[in-house]
Amino acid sequence: MSEFHLTEDQQDCLQELINIAMGQASDQLARYLDSFVYLKVPSIESVDAKELMRTLSEQKNAIAVVSQGFFGHEGIRGEALLVYQEGDSDRIADLLGYEPDDLSKDEQVIDISSILTTTFLNVFAQQIDNQMSYNAPKLLPNVKDNLFEHLQQMPFTWDIALKVNINYQVTDYSFNCNMILLIPEVAITNIKHVLNRILAEF
Amino acid sequence: MSDIDKAPMPEKGIDQTLLGARITKQINIQIANQLNTGILVVDAQLTIIVWNRFLQVHTGKKSENVLEQSIFSVFPELPVRWLSRKLNSVLQLNTPSFCSWEQRHHLFNLPHTRPITTDSDFMAQNCTFLPIVTDTNDSYICILIEDVTDVCHYQTQLKKALAELAKINRIDGLTQIYNRRHWQKSLEQEYAKARRHDKKLSLIMLDLDHFKLFNDNYGHQCGDMVLIEVSALISTLLRVEDIFGRYGGEEFAIILPETDLSGAIELAQRICGRVSALALTYKEQNVKVTASLGVAQLGEQEQSYEALISQADAALYQAKAQGRNKVFSNQCSSTLAVG
Repeated sequence: MSEFHLTEDQQDCLQELINIAMGQASDQLARYLDSFVYLKVPSIESVDAKELMRTLSEQKNAIAVVSQGFFGHEGIRGEALLVYQEGDSDRIADLLGYEPDDLSKDEQVIDISSILTTTFLNVFAQQIDNQMSYNAPKLLPNVKDNLFEHLQQMPFTWDIALKVNINYQVTDYSFNCNMILLIPEVAITNIKHVLNRILAEF
Repeated sequence: MSDIDKAPMPEKGIDQTLLGARITKQINIQIANQLNTGILVVDAQLTIIVWNRFLQVHTGKKSENVLEQSIFSVFPELPVRWLSRKLNSVLQLNTPSFCSWEQRHHLFNLPHTRPITTDSDFMAQNCTFLPIVTDTNDSYICILIEDVTDVCHYQTQLKKALAELAKINRIDGLTQIYNRRHWQKSLEQEYAKARRHDKKLSLIMLDLDHFKLFNDNYGHQCGDMVLIEVSALISTLLRVEDIFGRYGGEEFAIILPETDLSGAIELAQRICGRVSALALTYKEQNVKVTASLGVAQLGEQEQSYEALISQADAALYQAKAQGRNKVFSNQCSSTLAVG
């Protein structure tokens, strides 16, 4: 167990914060999309670097990965990866109410990813008294070969990754994707401070 | 939040505080006006309320025709529906939104100022839409327009260069047909496809007869000319799905997907005949060229694509042994005369 590993209490606390953030984010999304958004309780795993490499290299059928960097105060920063499996992204245009000829498929995936990432992380940041800024989202080219490479070429070394499984169902449309938050060690230490602070308040 | 917002303000007295605030404001304004990034702020009704010098200079528009005007009337080139939705998401979700040149080359028709030739007359842009909420609880959107013409230009060049490299990697420089490596990779794929879908697959191996003599008698330039002319001729005799490659020096190979032995032999005979009828001249001398061809069809027994090459190669050897300028197949009982 590395020193960056979360204790059981910290893990619970984080799960709770993410649940709240996800709940509020989906509420905002429902209003924005002007339709009923059904959200399953997101499943959260924290995985170490090696484990994630293994899981992701098994995920051969990922068709699109959108990456977006985020950074806040107190050294909290990282990169969000939204991983879509085959079929997941087919309904995005319907979901967002775009016309078929409105946007390229790439732009749709980037758009919905950015909305999901930023709504979620904004609410999450509020929970920990922080404020996030974001880099422009980027669609990783040739995902099939490059996801592994991309993870190895990160500008920072990250030791823990938070894997948040999101399942959105929007009225008639169901829509799945995986959100993976890659967080460098400094940020983890800071998140742990914040979690301890919240835990102490109880 | 930028550090400018947190510029120290002396708490000595109201005058000092006001002075500090005034200076901070002046600094902010001057920075905004000297940035090489366009800044445009619109309110919730999408009316322009702030723009910076970068945009003033690049649009050539006058402030009185821009401020207090709808963003869509000032910039009629903007995609109304798309941008309205984008800006709406920023207002409603209070989250930033982005638009990259990779998806949309530019939003605003601004001329680019680069001393380079690019594909577009307009500046390539990365746009960021940021939500801004004031003390009065009013919502605004700040649109940042970054000039990424250089990035776009070099990225496009890079893509072109990579495509060119990928092509060079597949093509034989002299004959402009596929090189050995790409041809062999294609055969590997065609073999797998034929096996999976239980489809026919045939192969022709072709060698120019006594090729060494062209080089010895007329020089290597003559040899090169023969290789180029024969390749060009054979290319015209093939279907689009056939894969023609230079296997070695004067040896060529043709993959024939979904073709049986008789079809392959027919083609081989046509090639043999056309090559021998080729009227080539080098330095005003007639040059006579013939080819020997070995044909094989993928059967039950071959366990690999290499085995198919061996079959066709053995047939080619037989064609040579039986006097050249011939087509031969081990799978066919009689020697095949030139058609």
